[in-house]
Amino acid sequence: MASSRTNAARTAGLDKRGNRNVKESAIGVILFICASVSILTTFAVVFVLAEETVQFFREVSILEFFTNPEWTPLFAEKNYGIAPLFAGTMLVTLIALVVGLPLGLGSAIYLSEFATQRVRRVVMPIIEILAGIPTVVLGYFALLFVTPILRSFVPGLNLFNALSAGLVMGFMILPTVSSLSIDAMQSVPRSLREAGYGLGASKFEVVTRVVVPAALSGIVASFILAMARAIGETMIVTLAAGQKPTLTFDPRETIATMTAFIVQAGTGDQPTGSLASRALYTVAATLFLITLLLNIAAQQIVARFQEKYE
Amino acid sequence: MSTVSNPPGSAPRKTSLLGEQERARLQRRKRVGQAFAAITFIPVILAIALILTLFADVIFDTLSWQVVEPNNSGQTFAWSEAPLGGLAVMRLELSAQGLSDSDIEAIISDPAELTRFRARNRIELMWHTDDGSMRWVVTNSRDDRLDYYGFFEGFGQFDRLAADLGPDQNIYLNPWLDFSFLTRNNSRTPVVAGIKTAIAGSLWVVGLIILFALPLGVGAALYLEEYAPKNTFTRFIEVNIRNLAGVPSIVYGILGLYLFVRLLNFGPTILSAAVTLSLLILPVVIIAAREAIRAVPSSLREASYGLGATKWQTVSQVVLPNAVAGITTGIILSVARAIGETAPLLLIGAAAFIPFLPEGPLSRYTVMPIQIYSWIAENDVEFYNVASAGIIVLLTILLLLYGLAFFVRRRFERNW
Repeated sequence: MASSRTNAARTAGLDKRGNRNVKESAIGVILFICASVSILTTFAVVFVLAEETVQFFREVSILEFFTNPEWTPLFAEKNYGIAPLFAGTMLVTLIALVVGLPLGLGSAIYLSEFATQRVRRVVMPIIEILAGIPTVVLGYFALLFVTPILRSFVPGLNLFNALSAGLVMGFMILPTVSSLSIDAMQSVPRSLREAGYGLGASKFEVVTRVVVPAALSGIVASFILAMARAIGETMIVTLAAGQKPTLTFDPRETIATMTAFIVQAGTGDQPTGSLASRALYTVAATLFLITLLLNIAAQQIVARFQEKYE
Repeated sequence: MSTVSNPPGSAPRKTSLLGEQERARLQRRKRVGQAFAAITFIPVILAIALILTLFADVIFDTLSWQVVEPNNSGQTFAWSEAPLGGLAVMRLELSAQGLSDSDIEAIISDPAELTRFRARNRIELMWHTDDGSMRWVVTNSRDDRLDYYGFFEGFGQFDRLAADLGPDQNIYLNPWLDFSFLTRNNSRTPVVAGIKTAIAGSLWVVGLIILFALPLGVGAALYLEEYAPKNTFTRFIEVNIRNLAGVPSIVYGILGLYLFVRLLNFGPTILSAAVTLSLLILPVVIIAAREAIRAVPSSLREASYGLGATKWQTVSQVVLPNAVAGITTGIILSVARAIGETAPLLLIGAAAFIPFLPEGPLSRYTVMPIQIYSWIAENDVEFYNVASAGIIVLLTILLLLYGLAFFVRRRFERNW
């Protein structure tokens, strides 16, 4: 067929193909640039946080940052000890985990193993809705509904307190734990369960001794990711737990988390380059590092310990 | 097995091969299993109960009782006098205040006067007034609000309150969420505060986000699924995207504050918000788009290549059209997340009080969650009511979006 073509037509065809190749590779490059935006974002985050944090530590010693028991960068007498913010964050996170992990895992086991198809079709979207409720709404709920109720039977509970913020946050992380754990349990192969039944195990025994152990890496990863979400959560704690850095483990107290401080300092007018503004970036850098490490840990656990089935 | 464990000499059972002990143990195992299933059901009930409680709480918070002493006319008008409300009620009210017809027409035909009237007054159809049921009332922000009761509190004491009313006083059941709430600007006076500017701000931000995040997200997903070589760098991008998805939203706020608001000097504008939130949702968009693209079977691609199509022809005309349902679902869910996002916008300067509609990407702005936050932060019972009305609006929009995503997934997703 090619031999019947004139030379001119052949050259035109080759030209067209050449243009096509140029276009093809240009598109490849454009798509590559799209994918690189995420890397640029990471670099930008790391650069911004690192730059201001280094500046901060030129003026405040690292030793003070970790050992000073007070955090008062916005007051006249300034103290730069991260401990109260860290303790506040951990206190709320701990309460959230105590509530959210069992609830999340329990609902995951129910939905993955016991629920009928119809129940699952109804309940899973509802749990997704829970995940989609904006946290400012959950903060409103914690402050104006949960706190007044708790105050009627918890003596000494402050208006702003870690307890109600933690409780509501527990429900916020429930869908994270639930959906990731469901995924993990669903990927346990059927043959494993059937082997369990074949040995005479009851459904309960198969679930607790075969499915959950086999899905353990995914479940633990979901716990860690839920913890990272709780640590990074901002609006619930800003609204319901307060903005007073307190080194305490009493859940009735008003506290401030790292995120609540960032909001407090970021919405006030801290002049750029002031130490208070740099303190804001330093706290954000601490937060970023903690959540990043937790995320990496979760991925490592899945990568290392996930049972592989052929 | 069970026959072996039967004690020798015991009478053989007709109904079961199991002995007493085994049967008891079996019963116990069964009971434990049932109890466990029931226990795992509790979290599901709790989660649903929490959602219902939250919705109910917010809805009831949009109603409150107030004892009001009107400062102006204080008259009510029958619903039949002005079935459509609006200007007709305004005319009635102004004439009740003693203005002449020509003055009234002058006020109504002047947009500035109209805006001023609306900023101070609120026209409400009340199901119960002293003059009867279903009557129009024009409440004024300068009315003396003598007493405030939450919905249930006031409901329980209604008879006592009604008996204690002084002359010229009224009990209003204040419906904080009504149509006028959607059409008013924000105000320092709770009764006439509205959410219009915040809705407009949210729409602007969402529009720009789609403009930025959709091409970037889908492009990145196409690269990773269809173009990327399997090497360390690609793996680095993938890990990086997963890690970005786990970065707390407030850190994006810090990035936006430093990079867009200050360094690039966009200032506290819609553009800053849209760019920041686009970066925030980008990982989620990419992950969702990748899943949708991966679900397109490779046989389709091979068929396309077999027909002589180039890579881009295959991707744009075979892969993308078949992945569009999944991509759309992912985008809708990401946008829903961006609409509800508060923390980063607090840092990059969404303002609490914007009494005008945004005019373009470089306009100052507020968005719904910021507006709700600022109302809660006012620390005032009436502003809590306004906040709850705002929450209902926000949640309604989000539920519609989730419904849309659900519908798209059900309707258009193909199973290969």
